[in-house]
Amino acid sequence: MLKQECSINKYFVQGDEAIAEGAIAAGCRYFAGYPITPASEISETIARRFPEVGGVAIQMEDELASIHSVGGASVAGMKAMTVSSGPGISLKLEGLGWGIKNELPYVVVDVQRAGPSNGVATRVGQGDLYTVKYGSAGGNNSIIAISPMNVQEAFDLTIECFNLSEIFRTPVFLLTDETVGHTRELLVIPDARELKIVPRRKPTVPPSEFLMYPLNTPGTIDYPYPNIGEGYGICVSPYTHTAKGYATTSEKDHDKMATHLVRKVTDHLDRLTRVQEEMLDDAEYGIIAYGCEARPAMEAMKKARAEGIKVGFLRPIIIWPFPDEPIYRMACKVKKILVPELNRDGQLSREVQRAAKGQAEVYHLGSGGVETHQPVHVYDELMRIIKGK
Amino acid sequence: MKNQGGDLERTIHPLAAKYLRQERMPHMACPGCGIGQVVHSTLIACDELALTPENTVWVQGVGCSSRITYTLWKGDNIDAHHGRIFAVATGMKLSRPDLNFICFTGDGDCMSIGGNHFLHACRRNLDVTAIMFNNAIFGMTGGQVAPTTPMGAMTTTTPYGNIEDPMDSVQVAMAAGASYVARWRSTDFRQIVSSIKKGIQTKGFSFIEVLVQCPTQFGRYVLKTGDPIKILQWYKDHTVTLKKAEKMTPEELKDKMLIGEFAHRTDRTGVVERYWDMIKKIQRERA
Repeated sequence: MLKQECSINKYFVQGDEAIAEGAIAAGCRYFAGYPITPASEISETIARRFPEVGGVAIQMEDELASIHSVGGASVAGMKAMTVSSGPGISLKLEGLGWGIKNELPYVVVDVQRAGPSNGVATRVGQGDLYTVKYGSAGGNNSIIAISPMNVQEAFDLTIECFNLSEIFRTPVFLLTDETVGHTRELLVIPDARELKIVPRRKPTVPPSEFLMYPLNTPGTIDYPYPNIGEGYGICVSPYTHTAKGYATTSEKDHDKMATHLVRKVTDHLDRLTRVQEEMLDDAEYGIIAYGCEARPAMEAMKKARAEGIKVGFLRPIIIWPFPDEPIYRMACKVKKILVPELNRDGQLSREVQRAAKGQAEVYHLGSGGVETHQPVHVYDELMRIIKGK
Repeated sequence: MKNQGGDLERTIHPLAAKYLRQERMPHMACPGCGIGQVVHSTLIACDELALTPENTVWVQGVGCSSRITYTLWKGDNIDAHHGRIFAVATGMKLSRPDLNFICFTGDGDCMSIGGNHFLHACRRNLDVTAIMFNNAIFGMTGGQVAPTTPMGAMTTTTPYGNIEDPMDSVQVAMAAGASYVARWRSTDFRQIVSSIKKGIQTKGFSFIEVLVQCPTQFGRYVLKTGDPIKILQWYKDHTVTLKKAEKMTPEELKDKMLIGEFAHRTDRTGVVERYWDMIKKIQRERA
């Protein structure tokens, strides 16, 4: 177990350790990884903890093997997870396509660091927002990504990743970053009975009546997933498939599959929209940030509020699918939105601009990464855009 | 059986009826391809060991080896991305040690794009049975050079002749630690059945390479013939059994591929057994 502090169920741990404990609490019993900072602490914690709880933890020969073996474990009925950071995520994207297409429930953790390429190892960045969404070649995907801002959320949202992966039958990303991963703070692990855990759904009809993929009812979720060795003769492949899992080259079949994969997410935005909103009711200006950047952003908001400037804050918690609707609502209220983020290409701000549909001016506060923005940076930039300089 | 005009009745091999999905027939092998022969041998091995579609999973990669065998098996068919067959099999076997896994891979899948995974599956001695169809060329993509293509061979991507030496997968498997290693030609019917049975029964990684004739690509581009009999003759001329090879000089063995049973170790456990033993031990200690 983790070393307890203060009292029962309270721990002083890193975000990475909280992710490992969250996975265990969610019922994850297969883990495969490859060493990479700043995600290695997750692998190390799991390597120590999994045998205690009867789980398999293996270090594979490379990033590709890690994600593909996690896919194999998911097919074999395990709740499974792999972790990495930017350079490793690039490699894992191949396996991710297999997971998306075959509707495999599993979790990928991306502890973002400053890029491109190897960038600055073990220093923070936020450059993978589009990578996790669009990285897997071929499009037609149904990625869900959730982003924690602190250690407690790293635990809670890891469980949520597993739950959503089972409900939506798709790989789910925990899109975190080095700052959250390496920050040590208080973690409260609730009693197991208080946690909501979604188990793998099993078919209730015999194999002859079961279709592996609900392509005739596109967008279906909460659909059972029989695993190998259960008598269902499941068919899983890299090829476009029919409802039975047979390879097909027909345009009609392909479109059916693509439609289903996309609509699984787009038909259920009500269950996939989760944001934190602060002081938006009377706000004239807004800040939008996610992950580690949320904390300096909120501090900047508080400082501005203390000076009587009406500033509100919004944080996407589920970041893919992107929370278009709450951001549009916010944009209709405020005049200007500031988006601090740890990349210079303006990934989050571009999405915000799209969702705002011209209702508010959107400003990008970028940095290449390595350090998070200080509250004063966000505050100063906010004052600058408010004054229109 | 009537077998004339429009009155053709299908007769089904009893093992095909027992193990294969009839709705997936005919499979997509080219006329004269050797892969069907090996599938036949595999079914005999499964039958003689009383394996069932419920306790056995067929695993594939990408290429002729895999596209032809995918969704033939009445049980579970798990087809991985190109080269990732042993990574996927690692996840499955560690999760379900009770199931048998028969992995169909090709020389491109196993030795080229999947080379690293192959090495480590051998090293971990992953308890699965791998059957590698070696047609010495990239068949499905149109006859490009493979790491197993003979030196000097003309392929679509070596129009001036292959300048690279081929890789000997059997030596690689043995050096990396596989428990069972054998190589046969598609015509070595009984030996293949026997090797697949031994492979399934051996604890640890079993690697059976079969030299399969590919009339469509290897035949046409490299041997300049589409005639399967002539290609089989070429394999006969270019292979020699381990036993015969003992009495031959290095000069005589030049350009010859060895066939036979290269390793059959029973002294080495694998990652699956060891992992689950470790879990039991740790849980006993903590209890």
